[in-house]
Amino acid sequence: MNWRQTFLVLKREYLTRVKSKGFIWATILVPAGFALFIGVMIFVSVWDSEISYTIGVADETGMIVKSLQEIDDERYTDVSGLSVDSLRAMVQREELTGYVIITDDHIEGSQSLELIFSGSGGLQLLTTVRSDFRETIRQERLARAEVSDDVRAIFESRVALDSRRLTREGEEREDDTEFLSGVGFLMGVIIFGAIFGYGGYIMRGVIEEKTNRIIEVIASSVRPIELLTGKMAGVGAIAITQFAIWILAFMGLSAVAGPIAAAFMSNSEQMGADMAAVESEIPAFLDLPTIETSLIVYFIIFFLLGYMLYSSLFAAIGSAADSETDTQQLMLPVTVPIFIAYAILFHAMRSPDSALSVIGSLIPFFAPIVMVTRIAITEVPFWQTSLAILLMIVTFAGTMWLSAKIYKVGILSYGKSANFKDLAKWIRQ
Amino acid sequence: MKPIEVDHVSKSFGDTKAVQDVSFEVEKGRIFGLLGPNGAGKTTTIRMVNYITLPDSGTLLVNGIPVGQKTQKLIGYMPEERGLYKKMKVGEQLMYLAQLKGMTAGSAREKIKYWLERFGAYDWHSKVVGELSKGMSQKIQFISTIVHDPEIYIFDEPFSGLDPINSELLKEIIIELKDMGKTILFSTHRMEQVEQMCDDICLFNNGKVVLTGSLRNIKKDFGKNTVLIEFEGDGSFIDTLADVRVNNRSTNFAEIRILNGLNSQEILKKAMEKNEIHRFQLVEPSLNEIFISVVGEDNIKKQQLEELKA
Repeated sequence: MNWRQTFLVLKREYLTRVKSKGFIWATILVPAGFALFIGVMIFVSVWDSEISYTIGVADETGMIVKSLQEIDDERYTDVSGLSVDSLRAMVQREELTGYVIITDDHIEGSQSLELIFSGSGGLQLLTTVRSDFRETIRQERLARAEVSDDVRAIFESRVALDSRRLTREGEEREDDTEFLSGVGFLMGVIIFGAIFGYGGYIMRGVIEEKTNRIIEVIASSVRPIELLTGKMAGVGAIAITQFAIWILAFMGLSAVAGPIAAAFMSNSEQMGADMAAVESEIPAFLDLPTIETSLIVYFIIFFLLGYMLYSSLFAAIGSAADSETDTQQLMLPVTVPIFIAYAILFHAMRSPDSALSVIGSLIPFFAPIVMVTRIAITEVPFWQTSLAILLMIVTFAGTMWLSAKIYKVGILSYGKSANFKDLAKWIRQ
Repeated sequence: MKPIEVDHVSKSFGDTKAVQDVSFEVEKGRIFGLLGPNGAGKTTTIRMVNYITLPDSGTLLVNGIPVGQKTQKLIGYMPEERGLYKKMKVGEQLMYLAQLKGMTAGSAREKIKYWLERFGAYDWHSKVVGELSKGMSQKIQFISTIVHDPEIYIFDEPFSGLDPINSELLKEIIIELKDMGKTILFSTHRMEQVEQMCDDICLFNNGKVVLTGSLRNIKKDFGKNTVLIEFEGDGSFIDTLADVRVNNRSTNFAEIRILNGLNSQEILKKAMEKNEIHRFQLVEPSLNEIFISVVGEDNIKKQQLEELKA
C-alpha cells in the first residue's frame, strides 16, 4: 500500500465530486426539502380547515341526534322523517356524505349501526363517526338505565399513563420513547438510503472508469487496492461533507423555524379566536427533546462501518459489470441483505428488545441499520453494541479482501459483464 | 543492465494459457516491436511488464529492478484500451496522472505547459475532455503518456484508432524519443508498421515467442528470396508456379516467396510468355512472409491469416 497514491486518488474523487452539479444540487435540495416540509407542517397546522362532511342522522328516538349535534353540529344534521329513498338520493347528489338510521333497537338491543356513505372522508371520518356514535349511544343507554351520577363519572373517567425512564445510573428522566422511536427509525432509514446512495456512487464511478477506458492508464500507476481504497475514502469524505452540511442546515432551520412559526401565529390571530387554540400546538412539534451525543456518535460509527462494508461490495459489482444496465443481476446479493435489514428495522422500531431485533442488530450486514434504531429507542447492553461493531470490522476485512480480488481482475476485463461463475473464478485466481 | 528483461514468463487465465515461457530483452535506445496476431499474448506480456498483471512464473526486470511500484514510474504506458476522464479538465487530468507517476505538482505543471504548447493545445487547458474532438483527446493521451519524462515507453497497438495526422505525430514522437536515447517498446498486429520503425522485433503466436532478434538480421537470414513482379497481361502464370507462396496478389502485381531454391529467373521466364513486365525485383521477405514461414501456414488460424493480409 502506497498511501501517497491512495491519497491522490482520494483527492481526485473528492474534488471532482464535490464540484459536480449532482452533488451541489443534492446538498442544496435536501435541506430545501426539509425547509419545505417544515413550512408545510406549519401551514397545515395553521390553515388546516377540514373539509366538512355532513352525516345525516335519521333518529327515531330523537335523543341521539341532539347529543351528536352537541359534539359537532356541523357534521351531524337531523334528517329524521325523510324517507330512505330521499336520503339515498341526497347522498348520490352529494348533499350528504352519508346517513345513519337509528331506531330504539340500536339502543335497547345490540343491533349494529349502518353508515351508508359515498366513500369520501376516508378512514379518519369513519373513526370519528364510529367513536361519536359509540359515545352518544352509550350515554343514552346509561340515561335510560337511570344510572347514578357516580357510575357515569366512573364511565367518563380516563386513567392517564405517564411514563418515565429509570436509567441504569438510577436517574429518572422524561420518557421520550415515541420521539426516540421516530428518531431511531429515521436514522435507520438514513443509513439505508446512504448505503444505497453512496454505494451507487462508487459503483457508477468504477463503471465509468471502465467505459472511459482510463482504468488501464491508472492501473499502470496505481495498485488496484490503492485505487479501491482511495475511491472508497474519497466517496466517504463526500458523504461526511454532505452530512455535515445537512446537519448544520437542519440545526439552523430548526432554530429559525420556531420563531417563524410564532410570527405566523401572531399574524393569523386576528383571523379567528379558534386559531389561538391551535397556537399552543405549533411549537410542540418543533420543540423537540434533545438527542444524546452518544446516539449521534453511534450513528456516525454505524453509518461509516455500514458504508465501508457495502461500498467495497458495490465497487466489486461495478468492476464486474460492463455497463450500468448490466448491474441488476450482480446487485442482488447486496441489495437483498439491505432490504432484509430494512424490514427488520420496522420490527425493531416496535419491539427493539425482541430476539429478532437483537439478533438482527448483531448480524454485520443488518447491524448498521438495525442497531442504530435500537440504540435510539432502548437501552442496548454495551456488549451487544461492541460485539456488533467488532463483527462488522471483521466482516469488513472479509468483504474488502473479496472485493479487492474481484476488483483487480474485473477492472481489466472488457467486453462482457461477468456472471457469478466468473466471479468465483476470479476470487480463486 | 537492460531496460526490459523478460525471463521465462508464463501466465494463465483459468484454462487459457495466455503467455507461455516467454523470454526477450529490450536494448537501451532502440525501438522494439512486439508482433503477432490478436490474442497472441502481446497485451498480457505488456501488462506484466507494467506490473498491472502479475506473472504465474518467471521474472520481469525493468532497469534491472524486479517489476513493482518503483518500476511503474520509469515507464510511460499507452494501453490499447485507452481513454480519459470525460468530465475532468485537461489540465487537472494531466496533473493527476503526472502526480500518480510520482511527479511533484510544480514540475508537473511546468511539463504539462511545455507539452500543451508544443502540440498547440494550451488553449484547451481548462476545457473538459468530453468537449474535445477525438483527435484532440488523442493528443492529450500522448501527453499523459510522456509527461513524466520516463526512460522507457510502452505503446500497445498505438496506431489503432488514431487519425492519420495523429498517427504521423506519434511516429514523430517515437523517433524523437529514440533520438533522445529513450527505449521504446510497442506492439502491433500490423506488420508493415514495424518494418518502418523497429530496430528489434519479437514475434508472438499463441502465447509463445516464435522469433526474436534484430529486424535486419532476421531479414538477412531469410535471404533475398522474394520476388516482386509488376506486369500487364495474363496473370494466370502465377497459378502454374510450384514451390512458391503468393502473398500479395492483384491484377497486375504479385509478391511471390520462393520456397525450395527455385530459380527466380524461371518465374520471370514464365511471366514473360504472356505479359509485359514493368518491374521484376528480388527482395528480402516482408515480415508477414517471415511470420508465416516461421509459424507455418497450418498453425495460423484462418482468421488470423486474413488479419495479416488485410
